[in-house]
Amino acid sequence: MKIILEARDVRYHYPGSPEAIRGICFHIRPGEKIALVGPNGAGKSTLLQMFNGMIRPTSGTILFDNEPIQYDSSSLRQLRKRVGFVLQNSDRQIIAPTVYQDVAFGPANLGYDEQAIRQAVTLALRQVGLEGFERRPPHHLSGGEKKRVAIAGVLVMDPDVLVFDEPTSGLDPAGSEDLMELLDELNHEGKTIIISTHDVELAYPWADRAILLLDGRILEEDVPDIAFGNTDYVRMAHLSVPTLLELSQELSRRGYKMPDRKPRSVLDMIEIIQNLLHRSNNKTQTGTISVFNVDEQDTWLLPAWIKARPEGVVGAMGTRAKQCAVREGLKLEFTYGVIDKCILRALRGQDSLILTTNSMAGLVISRVNTYCAESGNTIIVGSLDITKQDPAPGLASEKTREYDHSPGES
Amino acid sequence: MIETALDSVAQQNGFRHIHPGTKLLLGLGSLVICLISPFPFVQLISGIILSIVLLFPGKIPARLYAELLVGPAFFAVMSVIVLLFVLGGGDVIWQFNPASWLNLNITTGAVKESILVLCRVFGCSISLFFIVLTTPMTDLFNGMKRIGIPVEVIDLMMIIYRYIFIVYAQAVEIWQAQVMRLGYSKPVEAIRSFSMLCGMLFISSWNAGEDLVRAMDCRCYNGVFPSLDVAEPVQVKSLVPVILYLSALCGILLVLVINNGVIL
Repeated sequence: MKIILEARDVRYHYPGSPEAIRGICFHIRPGEKIALVGPNGAGKSTLLQMFNGMIRPTSGTILFDNEPIQYDSSSLRQLRKRVGFVLQNSDRQIIAPTVYQDVAFGPANLGYDEQAIRQAVTLALRQVGLEGFERRPPHHLSGGEKKRVAIAGVLVMDPDVLVFDEPTSGLDPAGSEDLMELLDELNHEGKTIIISTHDVELAYPWADRAILLLDGRILEEDVPDIAFGNTDYVRMAHLSVPTLLELSQELSRRGYKMPDRKPRSVLDMIEIIQNLLHRSNNKTQTGTISVFNVDEQDTWLLPAWIKARPEGVVGAMGTRAKQCAVREGLKLEFTYGVIDKCILRALRGQDSLILTTNSMAGLVISRVNTYCAESGNTIIVGSLDITKQDPAPGLASEKTREYDHSPGES
Repeated sequence: MIETALDSVAQQNGFRHIHPGTKLLLGLGSLVICLISPFPFVQLISGIILSIVLLFPGKIPARLYAELLVGPAFFAVMSVIVLLFVLGGGDVIWQFNPASWLNLNITTGAVKESILVLCRVFGCSISLFFIVLTTPMTDLFNGMKRIGIPVEVIDLMMIIYRYIFIVYAQAVEIWQAQVMRLGYSKPVEAIRSFSMLCGMLFISSWNAGEDLVRAMDCRCYNGVFPSLDVAEPVQVKSLVPVILYLSALCGILLVLVINNGVIL
């Protein structure tokens, strides 16, 4: 199996203090979403800074792409181009007096020519949804916007791995959800993402794997439901069990039969509760989910959909989709956790429309279909023009077959 | 907070999208004319017209503009009062002899000179305010690079400019924390608190500096500081009025010189 980052018995101590990292071994595969979780002073930040060579371990090796990291300045520059690091405090990361100059900092130092710099900066700002911010000075931006500038400044070098130290600290809840969604989007584009956090509620549904750190050692390393499910470890690491996981544990202690797969979202929980109540068989007619790609489709489709469905709800994923909704004067019901919330609505028979960007459009359809396959429900999902006519379920599944790989259908 | 207000006005005024060169031409041009003209009429005209331009098409908040003008106005009035008594020439129009050794006279020459000084301050300050209020620092950096100021100096200026706001915000935070705990209640206490504030600020700036080096390293620093490359093009529709205005101002000045201070 391919491995992108590996630590072999890594140890480190700051000058004049006891060891901060006491022998850590792990590996990370390309495209994984890793959450490094632990209390303050567990060594999270120290460990993260080793990934791009900011800190050199006292003993042990860090391997990137199966090569031990070299600490001469030109190898480090190459490494830092491929492992992007976003600091906790964006004010400390943003160096230049304008957004454009700051994002251009990396490429200019890597020796790109003017044209290439401009292209890369435009693309990176587009990815984080900050088009048109080029000339703005950073001190006129909000906390969330600064974070995005910092991310753009790293993305612009097109790294393979993105490392975030406490990405959501100092952001409001909606801003945090927004940011986590951006991380999902980047992961979907193929980036490996490593975050450190103590927000278990945020890490639990998001991560592929969680690494619990305590006193410079790895306490537990597993999929989130197991890593966070061990109450002893969670208590030792000064964390808390995620609410959904706790709920499912409590239900199972009271003799309710829980599925093996632990609930990762409200949607999963609803599914479990409905199964417990034996209501899964007398389902009502489910609603449809239409997907509108703001990068490719024409906005004139939108008013027709809304006119046809006065009861319908609209959600947006990604900043560009949200900007599009504002331009079109749409009232957004959901701005984060959109897919799950739309499935919940569909289960109640309501139609919904998801505005999304190019890279996420496929994800919506595959997520809904995966859900349908797992739960046995049937939800019609497809690109906006396909479900425009409000088709009968049989006909629609025929039409959306190209998007639909669910065995529950047809 | 007027410093930060100035910066945001410069970023958001009605002339934001005019080429900085055009704005600098207008500001510096009228500054030079105000400096060389010996006739107060020219400075008055220039000051009034630039103020109108700033307030209406420029959308500068009138209150902020008035507050800004108070500074130079206070300074000018104070100096002019002294000048009135110090300068001489012409006939005496007012005399004050409180004691035999103290003789205060105001002469026509002094009045004339004082009015000129007052108008010069007025005209020149407004010319400078025009630049300050319409051209953000970030645009000025670009211009400096173009006229050949060494890149190292400009890079330093850019970093300093970026950090002014960070250090300032930190100073405000420390100051608020001190005020909340009655740090400035007594004069002695105030001196102690202020010295503590300076010390804290020094330490945190030092840390910020080290962080800056680390952040630059993190992002592959190799000695290059990119410049902002997205300036607006020079537009004829803004450049032509500026040239016309400056020519008109020069014309008025010339007529005054030829006619010896009489306009018609």
